[in-house]
Amino acid sequence: MSQPKPLEIFRTTPNKDFIRTAFDKVLLGDWSLKIGRKLHYLGLPAAQMYDIIDWGPFIERFSAIERAENQQHLMFLKAHVRDIEERLHSLYGEFDEILLTGKDSHGVSPEWPYDLVNLDYYGGLIYSNRKRPKAIRKLIQNQATYERSFLLLITQDLRDGDIGHEEKLTFLQELNRSLKGGILDTRLHPAVDRITEWYASGELPDAARQALYVNFFLRNMGETESFDVTCRPPIIYEGTGGSWMIHFACDFIYRSNVACRLASSQTIAELINLGILEVRNAAFGHPRFVQPKLEMS
Amino acid sequence: MATPVAVQGEKEEELLFAAVVRILSEDLYPRKLEIIREYIQNSSDAIDDWLAVADHIHDQTDPQIKISIQGRSLIIWDNGIGMSEEDIPKLKRIAYSEKRLGEEAGYKGIGKLAGVAVAEKLKITTTSYGDPRLWMFEFRAGDMWQDISEKKRQGIQEPASPVIRRHTSIEYTDVDPNDHYTIVEIRNIKESCSELLDADQIAEYVGDVAPVAFDPLFEYAEFLNEGLFRSVPDYSPKKILLSRPDGRKSQIFKPFNSQMMIAKPDFIQVKAPGGKGVLAVCWYTTNAQKMGDKVRPSGRIFSVAGDTVLRRRRFAGLAYKLFGFSIGDRSLPTRTLWTTAKARAEWFTGEIHIVDKGVLPLTDRSDFVDTEERARLYKQSQEYIVEKLNDLAQLISDNRRAFHGAEEELKRVRKLRHKLDDGGVQRSDVKVYKRQLEEGLQRLKNRKCNDLEIRKIQQDALRELNELRADIDDPKKQKRPLSIADLGSDLKMTTKAQRVFEIIMGTLQTHFDDDMDSYEEIAAKIHKALKDKY
Repeated sequence: MSQPKPLEIFRTTPNKDFIRTAFDKVLLGDWSLKIGRKLHYLGLPAAQMYDIIDWGPFIERFSAIERAENQQHLMFLKAHVRDIEERLHSLYGEFDEILLTGKDSHGVSPEWPYDLVNLDYYGGLIYSNRKRPKAIRKLIQNQATYERSFLLLITQDLRDGDIGHEEKLTFLQELNRSLKGGILDTRLHPAVDRITEWYASGELPDAARQALYVNFFLRNMGETESFDVTCRPPIIYEGTGGSWMIHFACDFIYRSNVACRLASSQTIAELINLGILEVRNAAFGHPRFVQPKLEMS
Repeated sequence: MATPVAVQGEKEEELLFAAVVRILSEDLYPRKLEIIREYIQNSSDAIDDWLAVADHIHDQTDPQIKISIQGRSLIIWDNGIGMSEEDIPKLKRIAYSEKRLGEEAGYKGIGKLAGVAVAEKLKITTTSYGDPRLWMFEFRAGDMWQDISEKKRQGIQEPASPVIRRHTSIEYTDVDPNDHYTIVEIRNIKESCSELLDADQIAEYVGDVAPVAFDPLFEYAEFLNEGLFRSVPDYSPKKILLSRPDGRKSQIFKPFNSQMMIAKPDFIQVKAPGGKGVLAVCWYTTNAQKMGDKVRPSGRIFSVAGDTVLRRRRFAGLAYKLFGFSIGDRSLPTRTLWTTAKARAEWFTGEIHIVDKGVLPLTDRSDFVDTEERARLYKQSQEYIVEKLNDLAQLISDNRRAFHGAEEELKRVRKLRHKLDDGGVQRSDVKVYKRQLEEGLQRLKNRKCNDLEIRKIQQDALRELNELRADIDDPKKQKRPLSIADLGSDLKMTTKAQRVFEIIMGTLQTHFDDDMDSYEEIAAKIHKALKDKY
């Protein structure tokens, strides 16, 4: 047997702690109050389960997905030490695979539906093989099957190259088209062009584009499955190991008896104008860039 | 023992090969649930060790053992003393234990690796009070079995130690030095061992074999606890909680509850020869039922509610307990203590807590090691437990029979009393009733009974029976017999037949002129026979 090796443990950061306790926890509290019960959670809480522990008063049972064996073992340990093991429903494997196949590596299924989905990813939302967006689509479809509204929180790396340059341009062209199609007042169309040009700029930090297209992507998926989607301003912050992270929070409200695709109460213009928040030194700070707003010049 | 001498020129020979691990682990646990007992045993010892120091550091932790099922993993956690940095490498040693013989439940150093026989991996993570590190030990059993099989196919016999070293590892991370706990994860359990993932089976097994407490809702819990704490020096029930995959979490208790209808338990102390010291303490009880105004021991094979005979009789017999853990099943005391009337052993349920720690269990806990201490325990238990319980069974049987006998007689007497009071007793039937009352009286007198209250019920029955015997002779209370003419018309005979009948009956009446009771009896018989026929 070789010498003992140090275990890899995910460590939180003050910025992450701030978002979890000062921003997300408020949303959860409101959501729990609105539905009149504690929330059923699905997520990737990592072995330390900081979110579950911080949000404890609002969480009933939680399905925790973990892809690393030792981390899952440490999650079991943490749950027992914190005396919440009976509320833990552990799933082992890749989140995308579990959602797409409906089972984890040991044949255990998620306990649909959920009130809160918290996906704290390594890497971006959209990989080249597109498994992740497919998994998100499946998640939304499953929630729709049970007609269950939910709060979706996503945190991901702000890695450049998340999607290819061509894809970004295509996305922005489509965005331009749909905005112009949706905004009948043609006096606003030059503002639409200004915005898409701003987002297309190669010098622009990737965060700005991701902030927009992830929210668009979620809204689009949600509306297809009869959810009224309300996005909140994305938050960027410096995470573990100095990597830049972006955090999204969206309400998915299920509307029954919708004959065709639902249109969210939050307009596209409102979505574009959400802007970006930034957390620095464990507090909201002035963002490093300000997006142009969709308004008449 | 002779000192081994190395033969000159020969290399030191390897004596233990890798396959021994598999043989040891698989053959030791034919019933896979026994693997859980091994880990609970370690947890129980760790809690006892922690409790010994907890007072000194003013620790208020509620000592617990928790069992849970996650996917195909079985998890056993305790907040006992934990293991230190020095203890971790020793986990891979087989049959190595620093536990003190006769002072702790486990001592053979086999059980810690029990899980490797049934799962792909065994992970043990622990930290001890004051240690700033959390230690994770991993035994990759699945890989190791594959490795051994592969080597065997190639004709390579590898010594055990390097193989174990290759398939085990230790990792660590920082932790709060005040923490102290151990978690065992038996990971990816084989399909063929899925009873280890069945919460109902686990709950029942742990309740039966582990040192759990009595359910506080059980009416005799406090009485039994007090008695055991007082007389068994190491009696230390543990709080064991089970979390089921559906999110239900509950404490596991001994399987006795107030719905079982059991009599008030009692204790027997098994003393050493010459009355010097106590070898064991037995508590026992029997089924009970309401007799009179009280619930009393009712005897017969101890049974509870259940779908099958086996399920109904699963608590019949006593169970040996050593450090709170069951040794063997409930048939072991019957087999080892009762030489005759073995069925009587099953009239009782209960536990024999062994105080003499010179009595050692076999590795699989199915029996005791054959030692002088065991022989002494058996001999003294026969004297103290078997004799008492056999006598008691006889008493219970007598009392129950006396009660039921008295109850039956009373029922009969009261029915007859009712008939008599309603004027429904024919003079012709008095003789038969008197005979029945006489027999009943005899039966009541013959019943042995030492229960004063049942005796009173018996006496009440006797009194009522005697009173009825006197009253039944009172002609005023008897129904007036029908006249010959009434009998005839009651039978709706033709005029001619009625005349013949009256002649016959008149002749009989004249014949029995001195014995009218006999006449009435025969007249009633003829009347009945004719009435039945026509």
